[in-house]
Amino acid sequence: MTIRRPEPSTVRWAMLVTLLFLWEFVPTTGLLPELFLPALSSTLKVLYHDWRTYFGALLVTLYEVGFAMLISCGGGILVGALIGGVMTLRNLLLPVFSSLYAVPIVILYPVFTAWFGVGSESKIAFAGIYAFFPVMLSTAAGIRTIEPHFILAARAMGATTPQLVTRVVIPASLPTVFAGLRLGGALTIIGVVVSEMLTSAAGIGYLVTLNRTILESSRVFAAILMILILAVAYFMFARALERRVVVWQAAGKQPQQARDTTATVPVTATA
Amino acid sequence: MTKTQIITARLALLALVLGLWQVLPSNNVINPLLLPPLGDVLSMLWTLLGQPRVHEAIATTALEVLVAFIIAVPVGATLGVIIAESPYLTAIFKPILFYVFSVPKSIFLPLFILVFGIGFPQKVAYAAFTTGFVVLMSAMAAVESVKADHILVARSYGATRGQILTRIYIPSMMPILLETIRIAMIFNFTGVMIAEMYASRTGIGHLIAGWGENFQMQQLFAGVILLAATAILFNEIIRSLEARCSTWRT
Repeated sequence: MTIRRPEPSTVRWAMLVTLLFLWEFVPTTGLLPELFLPALSSTLKVLYHDWRTYFGALLVTLYEVGFAMLISCGGGILVGALIGGVMTLRNLLLPVFSSLYAVPIVILYPVFTAWFGVGSESKIAFAGIYAFFPVMLSTAAGIRTIEPHFILAARAMGATTPQLVTRVVIPASLPTVFAGLRLGGALTIIGVVVSEMLTSAAGIGYLVTLNRTILESSRVFAAILMILILAVAYFMFARALERRVVVWQAAGKQPQQARDTTATVPVTATA
Repeated sequence: MTKTQIITARLALLALVLGLWQVLPSNNVINPLLLPPLGDVLSMLWTLLGQPRVHEAIATTALEVLVAFIIAVPVGATLGVIIAESPYLTAIFKPILFYVFSVPKSIFLPLFILVFGIGFPQKVAYAAFTTGFVVLMSAMAAVESVKADHILVARSYGATRGQILTRIYIPSMMPILLETIRIAMIFNFTGVMIAEMYASRTGIGHLIAGWGENFQMQQLFAGVILLAATAILFNEIIRSLEARCSTWRT
């Protein structure tokens, strides 16, 4: 007789609860000093008392993320579609961009602070470029997966070029676009946070660094918690949006396959 | 387009970019204080490469990258294979990994600093931590790329476990393993750079951050060129190996 193993999702929730439990009780029982790991309750207390500071910092970060996403997602998806769609450009440029992708973009951040100062502009420029390459590469790869049969069938039934674009190409590339948005948003948030931690005077990343240097651990963890929530919230939002928009793709496929197409995360640099 | 045409076009593009980098700042179209002409940057790079301080920084950074890589790749690969070989563990961990991927690992840098200080162990630990996740994820993909049909055929012809491992698993996984090494190195390098730029006393990342703060643009761009060239070179070497190992697939 075998013991039935608990459902995977039950195990996941149990892990989360255990983690939160440990976060609370490992420091309070003195297993680890509060300097290394402040208890969950003292972290939440900081957030509760200082919500103005943290909320203000969140707004700065969100503002930077918003503008940087215009560069990374907007630019990345457009350029990616162009390079992926046009044969000549693809042969010429795609290998060049994949080589450039190997460069750790973070070394450009000092250049941006020298050019644009330590304000929001340098964060927007850095995070925009940081997320641009992965989004562009994944869009260029995704745009090539449009079924040639769709286009052939539409042509055979006498579709005009504008009809072909609006009725076939755009709907068929939506999954790629939304995957780009999900990936790009996550990477943009990472880029903004990294740059705020390195050199800045505002934002959540700045709160992490500021409080680290004065050894206010519970304040550091409050900022870390906020960034975690922001990243996870964006991921869930983007995936929900993606599922809603590309639902037609799942029609006629096995449910497992359909789920996999929306849940695949390309391996990309997350620093 | 033929192959020669493509290569010519790419070289022309490269020459155009480098040429503009030289011409625009030296004619004051772009402020040379913000973007020094390429020639000045290259001669600065030459000077820097002669300085013992820079040698020391390169050695430190290289050692950090190497040690972090040696730790992260086996640990991440082992965990990834263990998870991917068990459908139950895959069902538990796969959704979590998607969340882990969208979280900036750099927010944990302060933790590493609190625990390890700002020396060599902290750089290695942080870079290995960020790289480990990528390796884990790629190792899972590598196991999944082994076709069940191939194993079935081998078994029905009476292959032993050892034969299945060496004749099916390893050749199937080889291209992805090489890709893993390549991507792991990108992450690893990025991790060490961020850690050095964030809080450090040595290393190339520390020098670059300092040059940026002091507005020493020639030194800064020389450092950027050095690091970018190193990263691209390593990447291309592994990519050519990758292409060689996956020829049997097509």
